[in-house]
Formats: sequence, structure tokens, C-alpha cells
Amino acid sequence: MPALARYIGKRLLWTLPTLLLVSVMVFFMVRLIPGDPVQLILGDQATPSEVAQLTRKLGLDQPIPVQFVLWLGQVAQGDLGNSITNGQPVLPLMLGRFQVTAVIVILAVGLATLIAVPAGLLAAWKQNGRLDIAVVAAATLLMSVPSFWLGLVLLLVFGLKLGWLPVVGFVPFTENFWSALTYIVLPVATLTLIEVGVLTRMVRASAIEVLRLEYVTHARAKGLSERQVLLRHVMPNAFAPTWTMIGLVLGGLLGGAAVLETVFTLPGLGRLLVDAIFARDYPVVQGCLLFTALLYVLVNLIVDLCYPLFDPRVTAS
Amino acid sequence: MTLKTTFTMAALSGMLLAGIAIPAHAQEGNLRIRINADIRSSDPGINRDANSDAVVAHVVEGLVGYKDDATVAPLLAKSVDVSADGLTYTFTLRDGVTFSNGEALTSEDVLFAWDRYTNPESGWRCLPDVNGEGVSHVTDVSAPDASTVVFTLEQPTALFLATLARADCGGTGIYHSSSLDAEGKWVAPIGTGPFTFGEWRTGQFVELKANPNYSALEGARDGYVGDKTPLVETVRFVIVPDDSAAKAALYAGDVDVIPDVNNADVPEFKADERIDLQSVPGMGLTALLFQTQDPLLGDVRIREALRLSLDLSEIADVVSEGQAKPSNSVIPQPSSYFTEVQAQVPARDLEKAKALLAEAGYKGEPITWLTTEFYPQLFSAAILVQAMAQEAGINIQIETLDWATLLDRYTNGTYQAMSFTYSARLDPSLSYDMVSGDKAAQPNKVWDSVEGRDLMAKARVSSDPAERQAIFDQLEGMIRADVPLLVLYSGTRVSAAHAGVEGYATWPVGLPRAWGVSVNSGN
Repeated sequence: MPALARYIGKRLLWTLPTLLLVSVMVFFMVRLIPGDPVQLILGDQATPSEVAQLTRKLGLDQPIPVQFVLWLGQVAQGDLGNSITNGQPVLPLMLGRFQVTAVIVILAVGLATLIAVPAGLLAAWKQNGRLDIAVVAAATLLMSVPSFWLGLVLLLVFGLKLGWLPVVGFVPFTENFWSALTYIVLPVATLTLIEVGVLTRMVRASAIEVLRLEYVTHARAKGLSERQVLLRHVMPNAFAPTWTMIGLVLGGLLGGAAVLETVFTLPGLGRLLVDAIFARDYPVVQGCLLFTALLYVLVNLIVDLCYPLFDPRVTAS
Repeated sequence: MTLKTTFTMAALSGMLLAGIAIPAHAQEGNLRIRINADIRSSDPGINRDANSDAVVAHVVEGLVGYKDDATVAPLLAKSVDVSADGLTYTFTLRDGVTFSNGEALTSEDVLFAWDRYTNPESGWRCLPDVNGEGVSHVTDVSAPDASTVVFTLEQPTALFLATLARADCGGTGIYHSSSLDAEGKWVAPIGTGPFTFGEWRTGQFVELKANPNYSALEGARDGYVGDKTPLVETVRFVIVPDDSAAKAALYAGDVDVIPDVNNADVPEFKADERIDLQSVPGMGLTALLFQTQDPLLGDVRIREALRLSLDLSEIADVVSEGQAKPSNSVIPQPSSYFTEVQAQVPARDLEKAKALLAEAGYKGEPITWLTTEFYPQLFSAAILVQAMAQEAGINIQIETLDWATLLDRYTNGTYQAMSFTYSARLDPSLSYDMVSGDKAAQPNKVWDSVEGRDLMAKARVSSDPAERQAIFDQLEGMIRADVPLLVLYSGTRVSAAHAGVEGYATWPVGLPRAWGVSVNSGN
């Protein structure tokens, strides 16, 4: 355990320079994009004096390095500043949106894993057979379909044609469980189907590799059933690379599935970020990207820490 | 996003052809209106945008308000008396008006709101227009009794009441002091409007509830005045950023009204009898701007040649999907000052355009034309201009930017030519002020004419309609001769509501109005 604790501590310490680098890049790059948030707020009726006044009020008249130091000082105290657009504190705004994204992404990736692992294993087991061809074809199709298109098709069928599910909106689970469920079924289904394709291909490839190893031949020679070979010997080893992939997928999606959130009008982190970019809402963009980077690092740390569970050859040391 | 929209359009059209019935998701007593982005605040005229203005206008009311024809009429005031010298405005408040918390409206409330509006720290949108920087300078406001408020101006102006009524000024809405907390921080508006501010769920919706203490003005609903009695218990402004999703939501019955329909969606809605589509001319403008300080476009002959190369009527018709009549005046069509002079549309004359280009020594130098897909009509206009101008030998290169960048280039005047859309100005002098000014001080102005500015100053102080009309007619001739811009059409305001909605009406200002509207879930 001390070795594990040291490992976790070291990894967490390494996140600090990563986050600092991200913050520097994000802060300066977002300001390189043409467009002025003050002009966007005031619109085409703005007078120079109004622009100057609001620029001063928002602190955007300071030299950019000064703005950066001030912002970094705030961040060090856990304050990501306030949105330029609506004045709301960025941290609670972001965390509120993250909850929406997190529910959908975790459910979708979880479901996708539950479908992809057996599908990939079976396809590998029956490599080049009809089942394998069908699984590979389905996975390739799902991987190739853009998420927004699939989302729109589901929305048109289940929302418009059948009228079973609402087309826009979101209800938190804390407010009304069943109603909340109706609002997330379609986005979760869309994301699940997309991720099933990726993960199935991954599981299949890993399982094929494992099935060719000598210890599998040995297991079969011992007289174990195919079920035992697959579940006890192939799956754990084939799952390890898939687990890494799940970490990458989770890390990427938790930062926001902007397109899907736009299609289903979900108030998630991705939509917040995209809206903030269009509005040149610097504090929100900076906060979201910093948070996304942190999430990515943490998710991958958790993935790495869980790795020994699937692959005994890997230890914390 | 374009690809996505295309897919949606195709998919939606397919489903419609298949004859989808609109599901009965509509809720009686609850009206759901789509807005395309979250509101910025609930503070009238402060940190606002059009969506914020629309929501706030349901909760607070000002002393005066706009009517459907863009003229100003009393709202919280029973009467407005203007002194002979035009310097004193005496507002007498209506009897029996209470805030939604049951407190009676008095002149002290007007002073309270006014003091906060005019505090430079508040960031009120229209402060420059009442402190002498813009259209007026209010030197004193007093309340001689509980129902009278007197405003004193330094100089007479025809625009004082219009400024108070402006939607982007929050209609200079009067709110109760309890709209702020003990530390003076804004909480939520408590006003005299037909609705009370309910719940604002960031990124999702803003919900208003019918105001049980609302005191209706006499007369039919007219703009922001008249009878504004709510007919639904709640109105929810649902945030749906994507136009395609909004369309799907309307068909599914998840929203009841789309107050600002994209021109591209008009034919589909029009063909569907289950949708009530309304279209009225708006007060905004869609225009083509030229940088008169550009080495090439600084030559008025080239700008004139560009105008002659274009079929302006055709462009207006195509980009507005037939919704807008061509109009080449900076005065919008619904204005009472839009007369025969403003209604003239120059004809296309390719031969004359070629002759002018030859005279100016134009040899096919490229002209960079900025546009954006954020407003589809601006992109379409650029494409058509490019094709038409090419027939006269004008070489236009289109550069597509996002809206923030285009606005930045507009504000700084760093462009040769661009397609642009102006927000609504409800008085012609404001329309001229929008395009005209000293470029050295305000690079966003497209027309820099000293004589024009003098005439505009006269129009601002004159309250005689005939005199003002003569000034605007003269300005029309001057700006057309200089060709610093080509207005294509006054914006159109197109709304779509499903069949269960009764009483919804769009109007030239375009902001949605939920009063007088009911929802019948049975339809």
C-alpha cells in the first residue's frame, strides 16, 4: 500500500505541471481567436464609450499577462472567475453542467462495455465465421455513423413518429426519476451505439491475439470447456487493452459530448464550452478546458490503478 | 453544423412526407416558447441580449411602451405631458397599479429604478442616451406627489420617449425595491407586468407565472401596451439552440411557439396546415456594406457599379425565401417615415456598371467580401452578389467568418465589403445614426458625411413629423448617391406556432409576447 500511495501521489503531483501548461495554452490561445466578448454583449448598437466602460468593468483592458496572473491567482484559490456572458461563477456553473454529461456518458460507456465485451469475445472465438462477419460489420457501421446523425434518426423515430419520448429538454434524476429517464434514453442510446462499435472492435482484436497464445492452447489441451477458456483465460487478458480504451473514451466524453448535447438540447458541459467559445466567454472556456484536462488525467489515473486487476503482470511498482 | 442541418432537413422532410401527426404533448395552461440561447440576466437593460429583453418584458413595464406600429404610447403612465419648450416631461401614473408582490406603484418606485439605472456602476445599456453622450441629457427627475414624475432635459429631443421604451433599455422598466437584496444586489425582477419571474434553470429554461395582481391597460393588445392579461398559468422560455431541434420540438409538441423562424424553414412550415405561420416586416435591416476608405471601394464609381450589377429585388426575394419585399432604405419598411422616396428600388444595369468600372480603371482586382453562416441570409446574399457582380466583371472573393469575428471586423472597420445585419432601430434618426458618423472616432460607421450628420442632428430635436420627413427624404437621396451600403430588405419576423396555440401574434419588434395567448392541448 505505501508503494501504491506513493505512486498515486506522484501521479497527482505530475498533474500540476500538466494543468499549468494547459492553463497557459488555453488562456493565451483563446485570446488569439478574433472577436471581442464586449462587442458581442453590446451588439451593433455599441458606442466606443460603452465598449470602453464594459471592457474596463470586465478587466479586459489589462495587459494579457496581467490578466493571466490575476486569473491564475484566482484559480489557485479554487475560484475560476465569473462568466462574462451572465456573470455566474464558473465553477458551480460548470459542475452543474458536468453532472448532466457525467450521467449520460457513464451510463452509455457502461452499457457499451456490457454489450461490446461479449460481442467482441464471441466474434474472436468464431473468427472469420458468419457471427464474426456480422459483428464486425455492425461494429464498423456503428463506428462510421456520425453521432449527430444517429441521434437525429432516433429522435425522429422515437420522438416524432412514435411520440414515445420527448424531443428537447432535460429533467434531473433528483427531481423526477421516471421523467428524467425519458429525457436521457435517446442520448444514452445514441452514445452507447457509437461506443459499442469502437469497443467491440477493440475487444475482438485483443481476444484474437490472446486466443493465439500458447496458454490458451494449453488450457484447451487440459480439457477445459470453450466457455471456461473464454471466460477464465481469454477475457481477463483481452479486457486489459479494452480497459485502457474505455479510459480514453471516458476521459474524452466526460469533457463534453457537444454535438450530441446540441442535438438533444442537453445542458451539458460540451454545450457550455461550445456556447462559451462562440460568445468569447473567456473565463468559461478556460474553466471548462482546465476541468476537462483534469478529468482526463484523473480518469486515466484511475484506469491505470485498476489495471493490475485485469493484468496481474502489471503492478504499481 | 451545416452538414447536420442538411441531414436534419432531409430527415425531417422525409418524416413529414410520411405524414407524422403532431403528438399531443401540448399542455393546457402552459405555454412553451423557444429561445435560441440562455438569457444573460433578469435585470432590465443590464447585461442583456434580445432573449433577456423578451423575458424581462413579461415581468416589468416602463412608463411608456412601443405599439405594433413602432410608435410610443403610455404604459404605466396614464398620461405624458410635454412642455412647450420640449424640456419637461410630466408622467402621471395609472391608478390602481400594483407590483406582483401586492405593493402599490408610486412615483418613489420610479425614482428608485431611475436612480439605479443612471448609476454608472449598474451598467445600464441606455445610460449614454440619457446622460448627454447620446440622444438626451436628463438633468433632473422629481416626484412632486405619489403619482407624478417629472423629467427635465437639457435639450429638446424627439427621441426621449422612444429611448425610455426601447426593448434593449429593458423598456426602462419600473421594479420594486425588493428586486434587490439588502446589499443592493439584483435578485429577480418584481414588476407590474402580466407575469412574475419564476424559475431560471441555466441552459434549460426560464419559467414565468401569471401575475395575480396584474392590472391591465385598456384597449386591445398592441405591441407592449394595451391589454396584456395572461391567459396561461405559466410560460416557459425553453432554450433550444439548434434550429433543427427546435423544429422537431415544435412538431413533437415539446414547444408551442418558435418566435423567430429561419427563412429556410418557411416553405416547409407554410405547406403544413398544422402550423400557424405568421410573417411581418421587421425593424432590422439586412445590408451589404462597403468600406469607403478602402483604396478600391473608396471610388464611388466602383460602389455604384456594384449596385448596378446587382438585382437587388431578386437577392431580397431569394435570401428571404420570398418573405421580404426589397427595400433599399435604412429606414425600415414598417416605419411611418417609409414613404415613396424610401420605397424606390434601383434597377440592374449591367452595361452602365461596366462603363463605370472602365471609367474608374477597374481591372478585375479582387474584392474580399466577408460573410457568416451564423445568419444564413448573409451567406446566401454574398453568394448571389458574387455571381451577379461577376457578370459585370467584378471579382469578388468570399471569406466566411464566425459571427464574433465578423462583428469584430465590422466594429473596427477592417473590411472591404461585407454582408451584415443590423438590429432594430425604431426611429429613423436612430437608423441613420446606426450607419452614419465620424469614421475616425467610430470605425463601424459606413457613411461619413458632415452634411448628413448635421441633418441627423436636426431630425433628433424636431418633433414635427413633416419636418422630419423632409429631412429623412433629403438624407435618403444623399446616402443613395454615396453608396456606402446597399440595404437589401427590412428584416422579416416570422413565427410558427402549432395549431393548439391561440392568440399568438408576431410584430415588427419581433420579441415574443405570451400575454393574450392560450394553449389548447386537445388540438
